[in-house]
Amino acid sequence: MLVKYLLATIIAGLFAGILLTPAMYVKTVPLILHAEEYENAGGEGHSHEAPAATTEAAPAVAPHEHGQEAGPELPLGRFGNTLLINLVAGAGFALITGAAALFLGRRITLQNGIYWGLAGFFIFNFAPAFSLAPELPAMPAADLATRQAWWLITVVLTAGGVYLIVLRDEIWAKLVGVVLIVAPHVYGAPEAEDLASAVPPTLASEFAVSTLATNLFFWVVLGTALGWAIQNYASSELDA
Amino acid sequence: MATVRTSNTISLPLASRLTTAVVSLLLGIFIVYGVGLSHSETLHDTAHDTRHSYGFPCH
Repeated sequence: MLVKYLLATIIAGLFAGILLTPAMYVKTVPLILHAEEYENAGGEGHSHEAPAATTEAAPAVAPHEHGQEAGPELPLGRFGNTLLINLVAGAGFALITGAAALFLGRRITLQNGIYWGLAGFFIFNFAPAFSLAPELPAMPAADLATRQAWWLITVVLTAGGVYLIVLRDEIWAKLVGVVLIVAPHVYGAPEAEDLASAVPPTLASEFAVSTLATNLFFWVVLGTALGWAIQNYASSELDA
Repeated sequence: MATVRTSNTISLPLASRLTTAVVSLLLGIFIVYGVGLSHSETLHDTAHDTRHSYGFPCH
């Protein structure tokens, strides 16, 4: 087990997660809070969970709405929760990226780290967002499980496509790679039947761009930090 | 040493990398699933802003 390598990836992920938090608070969280005003004003609200997931006996449970009641979230406050989750998420994406590099026999360095980051951004953010735009609270959307499945399949196919295009030299591989990346968008993401929304379109478009900007920032930091941490803490293991 | 430092590949054979790669991948998938996709209400509410901001399908 390459323990130093694992620790180096986790450190890089935590670092990127910390930096993501202020970026979110500048660009995306204000828009989320703004949208929740429409969500709460709409009266209808949205149900957070699929009905099957909650087995509470009380009939006609009022949909949980943000910012008005204490949800079952961890008691760290909104900022604390987001910071914690960003740290954990950063470590998760770092571990996946580090694992991919290990499988492929590639070394993430300070110089090429930004490309690993850009690949991660393309795979996890840009490709899914291309057909399934990042949503604000109170925006209409298709069934959650269907969208999650589409998201997951798109991420996996795009990862395969990026590998075939970037790391394989054969022409057929690059063609298959393009097909893999394009396929989920030709198939199409699940769409809501009724697109009418209480959230102003301007807010929604601003949010979509803001999320891509903050996530691009996150991935560039993560890729570079991965290269730096692995080069400085784990190269002895990889050169063995 | 300079060539080793700037190398983009890992000389270590696959057999020596595989365990770490599998552990790292599974751990990473487990974490990202929990942060982004799990239907647990506690996880959803805690991760709410991150899910929206990251572009995970949320509601």
